[in-house]
Amino acid sequence: MNPAAVLALAASAAALPAGEGGAASLCGLCHPDVRVQYETSIHRSEEISCVSCHGGDPSAGDVAGAHGRGFRGRVRRAGIPDLCASCHADAGIMRPYNLPTDQLALYRTSAHGRLLARGDDRAAVCTDCHGAHDIRSARDPSSRVHSLNVPQTCARCHSDASLRAAFGHLGDPYADFAASVHGEALLRRGNLSAPDCSRCHGAHGAAPPGMGDVDKVCGQCHQTARYWFRTGPHATAMAREGMSECASCHGHHATAAAPVSLLETACSGCHAAGTAPLELASRMKTLYDGAGEEIETARALVDKAARVPLYVEDYRARLQEADTSLIESLPTMHSLDLSRVEHLTARARSIGREVQAEVNGKLGDRAWRRLGLAAFWFYLLVTVAILARRRRRWAGGGGR
Amino acid sequence: MWGLAAAGVGLSFLRAPSAGHRPSEGTVRCGPFSTLAIGEGRFVPHGARPLFVVRASESEVLALSAVCTHLHCVLRWDPGSRTIQCPCHAGAFDRSGAVLSGPPSRPLPQLEADVRADEIVVHVGS
Amino acid sequence: MSGADPAGGSRGPRPIAWIEQRLNLTEIFSFLTNFGVFPAELDTRKPLREAIHEALDRPIPSYARWPRVLGILSLMLLAVLAVTGVMLAFYYQPTPSEAYESSTILVRDVTFGWFVHQVHGWASHALLFVLLLRLGRFFFQTLYRPPRELIWMVGLLAFLAATHADLTGRLLGWSGQGYWTTVRAVEILYDLPVLGGLFAFVVGGPGIDSLVLTRFYLMHILVLPAALTGLLYLGSAGVRRVGLSGAPEGGAGRAAYAVYLHDLMILALLTVGALVTLATLLPAPFDQPADPLVTPRGARPPWYLLASYGFMEAFPGWFPRWARGLLVEAALVCALLLPFLDRPGKEGRRVRTARILAAAAIAAWLTFTWYGWRLEAGP
Repeated sequence: MNPAAVLALAASAAALPAGEGGAASLCGLCHPDVRVQYETSIHRSEEISCVSCHGGDPSAGDVAGAHGRGFRGRVRRAGIPDLCASCHADAGIMRPYNLPTDQLALYRTSAHGRLLARGDDRAAVCTDCHGAHDIRSARDPSSRVHSLNVPQTCARCHSDASLRAAFGHLGDPYADFAASVHGEALLRRGNLSAPDCSRCHGAHGAAPPGMGDVDKVCGQCHQTARYWFRTGPHATAMAREGMSECASCHGHHATAAAPVSLLETACSGCHAAGTAPLELASRMKTLYDGAGEEIETARALVDKAARVPLYVEDYRARLQEADTSLIESLPTMHSLDLSRVEHLTARARSIGREVQAEVNGKLGDRAWRRLGLAAFWFYLLVTVAILARRRRRWAGGGGR
Repeated sequence: MWGLAAAGVGLSFLRAPSAGHRPSEGTVRCGPFSTLAIGEGRFVPHGARPLFVVRASESEVLALSAVCTHLHCVLRWDPGSRTIQCPCHAGAFDRSGAVLSGPPSRPLPQLEADVRADEIVVHVGS
Repeated sequence: MSGADPAGGSRGPRPIAWIEQRLNLTEIFSFLTNFGVFPAELDTRKPLREAIHEALDRPIPSYARWPRVLGILSLMLLAVLAVTGVMLAFYYQPTPSEAYESSTILVRDVTFGWFVHQVHGWASHALLFVLLLRLGRFFFQTLYRPPRELIWMVGLLAFLAATHADLTGRLLGWSGQGYWTTVRAVEILYDLPVLGGLFAFVVGGPGIDSLVLTRFYLMHILVLPAALTGLLYLGSAGVRRVGLSGAPEGGAGRAAYAVYLHDLMILALLTVGALVTLATLLPAPFDQPADPLVTPRGARPPWYLLASYGFMEAFPGWFPRWARGLLVEAALVCALLLPFLDRPGKEGRRVRTARILAAAAIAAWLTFTWYGWRLEAGP
């Protein structure tokens, strides 16, 4: 290194405020906006500099020199996955960060990767989701690929009207998702247990789940529902008919919280009126509604008794048991096995009824108060009558 | 007769209610400590706020709420795996109340517990 | 209450005679008569039996019948409050953490606990109502004029003591409504110059905390009942000196005391009957525990303070609050000194003017009460 270069380095280090990581610094003289973006990125703190991706000579003070030796300039879209993978698929480099190295392989299997392989530049590449100069850790809440931001990031293409028209996609997945029970939990309440797009579609390997896989995807979280679904006749029948398992009744992007009343609307989509399956659905609904009503009636009674006040802590504990049984019974409907549903709802219903009977009994004990009051008034009036007679005797002058 | 009735009401009023209906001072008695093996837990019913006591070590005891943080189902102690299981959506918590798997996003709240004369006493507050 | 047995001779049974040689039972019994149960004087030099028999035969004007019944009725209600209050004190614990729970256990788990609690509450309402009715009667019939000036003043002070006893009692249960009613009431009282400062000094500060609860408890069970008892005693002492109002002097309308003793017993029974019926059929609801950070909806001052509240709030903002408080205090002082402000003159005109004034005062009171009620009625 010649003395002039050392001098230039020192000058640049003095001129640029955040000048540590020296070698990167001179690019920012001409690309200040890129430099500003770069300052926030995770690559900056790991000292992955401009030349790592763009090549060239960061120490040259003039454009010709800087854009000289090994300069790659703007990276072609089709080349971006391979460029990123040059580090990110290298187990040796990634090991200390404990990052996976299979992203490129996954990407090539994804709908995005296959489209790109066909030479379609509209396909999303790494930078479309992660950003380029301002790339951040996925754990950073301001990152584009943080769970809270993933729906927006995907929506940049998938809810874009012209792109949707070009690919013949009908719905607006972002709008559907945002209105769904999942979107509500994730976007409005910030519940990170709720799924973003990648939980169902994959991230680097993003693709719509195929027939026969939907229950696996949903079952990642809805384990009990999937378990009972697999034990029931729907699992094989729907696979045979090529029907989407969960989505046939619950929808997919726009899936709503599943009320018991879904039994009234969803089944008739396939089953004709008056057939045994619809009969089964209506019987299951009756069981759930019955148990729910018993519990609610019991709860209202317990609340009333608490205001009297009566001692209701034990009743509240039993209502909690009943709630547990009812909630436990809901996923079992996917088995289409009436006896299972019956078993758990019957428990919830009978607890509700018992509590009602006992609270009513306790409240009914208060009817004795009225009876006691009547007896009290009877004695009181008798006493008053006796006193009134004695008073008359005194007033008449008799007295003694 | 009026005097008798008044005396009856007065005396039955003065008879103090049974122990369960006295101010609890915010504590729950959770049975003997010595019969609980290390790592073992016990379900303790307590109104709408049931709880588990878990023996953490030779001398330490831990009290956890037994209500699932997901949809408030009543949890069960699984003696085989020594974990806490939710019957509703297969949520699971470890012996310290941390979420092991399933939909719950928050750990089980811990309660203050200590051992007095081999009886586990949990302070639930009023 | 069996009363005095009218049958029997003048010589008492042996145990009573034995005691009477060592204690003057008549004097001890006159303790009761001093409170107005027995308006006729007893001759304390005679043995009890003889003194009572003599009194029973003495013709006196009716005092246990309308409209002179209100005085004796307030004493009966005070007795009911004393008995039930002592019973409640067996279970109640006056600390913020225990007040609500001990009250809950009292009304929920103790046999007849709810009954004693409700009777105490209804007796409190009834006492305030009776004392107010008595004041109204004095006002309308200009009975506060000589020689009953002191009876009027004592009656007014007794009403004030009873409202304070009611106010302090509302806090003790540490329920949401009770707590916030107290907060609202205390806000009004603190705005009164001098009296408010005195009240704050006694209560111990602007916030309602454990210290205030202890002081309210002591006021409620000891200081105010003692004051109320003393005032009612003074009232009946005054009645014994100047005579029952509107009572005929001669023989007409008078009967042997025993006749009115029967009236008194019937009245006592009916009073207890009314309280028991109200307590059983119209129990006051049991509220949630107090949360000092959340004001429940419709938290108003107690009804007897609504007029002051409405009056204080009815002024435009520039009128200082201490001056509003001063006006309230001036009205109170005027009421207290009414017998001296309304000097007797030409009877006919004065009575009519007094009645018009009385009607105007009551109308104003009702208007401000309505206005005060409206202030908190919001959505």
